[in-house]
Amino acid sequence: MSEEQEFVPRIIYFMCSWCGSGGAETAAAHHLRYPENVVPSRVNCTGALPPVHILRTLIEGADGVVISGCHPGDCHYEDGNFRARRRVALVKNLLDTLGLEPERVWFRYVAHGEGRRFVDTAAAFNDHIKRLGPNPLKTRSDT
Amino acid sequence: MNAKGAVLPVGEGFAPAVIEWLKEALNREIFEAVLIPVETPAEDSYAYLLIQNPAILDRASPLPPVMPVQGGKAIGRLTMRGTLNKRVAAVVRPCEARAAIELTKLKQAHLTNLFLITLDCAGVLPLSDYLEDPATAGARFAEAVTQGDRSPMRPSCQICHRFSLASAPGVDLHIGTLGIDEGSAVIVPGSLKGERILEQMGVSEDDERARPVAEMLERWTTQVAEVTEAQIERRRQAHAELQEAVAGADRLLETFSTCINCHNCQRACPVCYCRQCYFESTALKLPPDNYLARATAKGALRFAPDTLLFHLGRASHMALSCVSCGACEDACPMDIPVGQVFSLLADRAQEALGYVAGRNVDDPLPLVAYEMEELHGVEQPYVEIYREQEVQDA
Repeated sequence: MSEEQEFVPRIIYFMCSWCGSGGAETAAAHHLRYPENVVPSRVNCTGALPPVHILRTLIEGADGVVISGCHPGDCHYEDGNFRARRRVALVKNLLDTLGLEPERVWFRYVAHGEGRRFVDTAAAFNDHIKRLGPNPLKTRSDT
Repeated sequence: MNAKGAVLPVGEGFAPAVIEWLKEALNREIFEAVLIPVETPAEDSYAYLLIQNPAILDRASPLPPVMPVQGGKAIGRLTMRGTLNKRVAAVVRPCEARAAIELTKLKQAHLTNLFLITLDCAGVLPLSDYLEDPATAGARFAEAVTQGDRSPMRPSCQICHRFSLASAPGVDLHIGTLGIDEGSAVIVPGSLKGERILEQMGVSEDDERARPVAEMLERWTTQVAEVTEAQIERRRQAHAELQEAVAGADRLLETFSTCINCHNCQRACPVCYCRQCYFESTALKLPPDNYLARATAKGALRFAPDTLLFHLGRASHMALSCVSCGACEDACPMDIPVGQVFSLLADRAQEALGYVAGRNVDDPLPLVAYEMEELHGVEQPYVEIYREQEVQDA
């Protein structure tokens, strides 16, 4: 077995409780599968996901983080996804400045009805992280 | 008066002139109190005093050689719980004024009835350097200021490009000295409040010993622009070198490896605005099995844990409000270049979101405001590459 196949990334999928997890429900209703190493985690709104939690996830063992909220204009709280976009931009900027691989964070809108898109995002991100390799921070004991 | 501003006659030195001006304002009840750094009785440090008795103003020092407490923090402590009911003048450095403005936006300070008076700043000495021998350090500082030499100053001050009025054009009054002959200074209003104060004080438009105010203002503006440009270049270079030194997991962890988790940087930071710090809350004090699980995953776990999370997380909280004052670095007992790393992170993050911390009270905070069409670069485009898979699954 080659090393590439052995590496199973640990991925946390933050989704908002309206569209993101709705997309997961739709995927379930259609019996669509996504990689089992992608761990879904529901937050009330992506705009309410503190940047610290994204950083904490990356430092404490995740290889990548995906965040999915409603499409622009569809947010249950009107502007949560726009705020989330700024927060994700901030986190990516911090990671980029410090050379900590901002590409380990993905932000993609998924609507309630887009089960396929949810499953695709999980699968595509999984492949993307597999190509990137393990997150160097997760094995460091001196964090 | 076409150019706004007035001449401040400086007879026996700059500081006494500023103090004399403040005293007159206090006596005439234009201000009812003054918040200004004053040398401690032991003559080994400086502290902000809220002064109501004009006699105590004599010991004040508008530009002390060190910054043991960031003025923005002092203003925050003064006005966090409500607005002032007396007119208070706060004589602070530009970075301190910017911190106060930032705190106001974060609802941790109130500027009502507060008059921010800033001065052209050449930086301050590192606290540790100063404490070795306060007397000679004071003289060394004065010498460096007259020479315009920033090399003995703190690293953050050496690369500071926001040392004058232009960095926070909304402060009420600014006292400019750069490019102006010794023997005078200019007082420039930044706000309507400041203009009214100047009118009330009736400071002479022309001082017999000095040039006409318009010419002085022009010389000051030119000199400030010149120094700013040189400092921006210095800052760019220093940041490029620093990024080289800290980027990447290995080098970053090396940078913070001496951290003793004292959280002094957070306590000294003027714009660390949370009333309860997340990193000192119970959210990060977990049951033992959590730590054991993490040790299992990583092979070992450093204690106290979450050092990197503290620094990165703190950056995510305050990078957009960071005024690059360097108070964190002064407070670090382990000489970690936190101030430099944070100013680098802050510059990049503020640039990305089109914001300058503390520049203006009316600029909305970047994490509160948003535009419909912006930052499309962070949105991951959806390419339907997995269609074939779908067909197979079906």
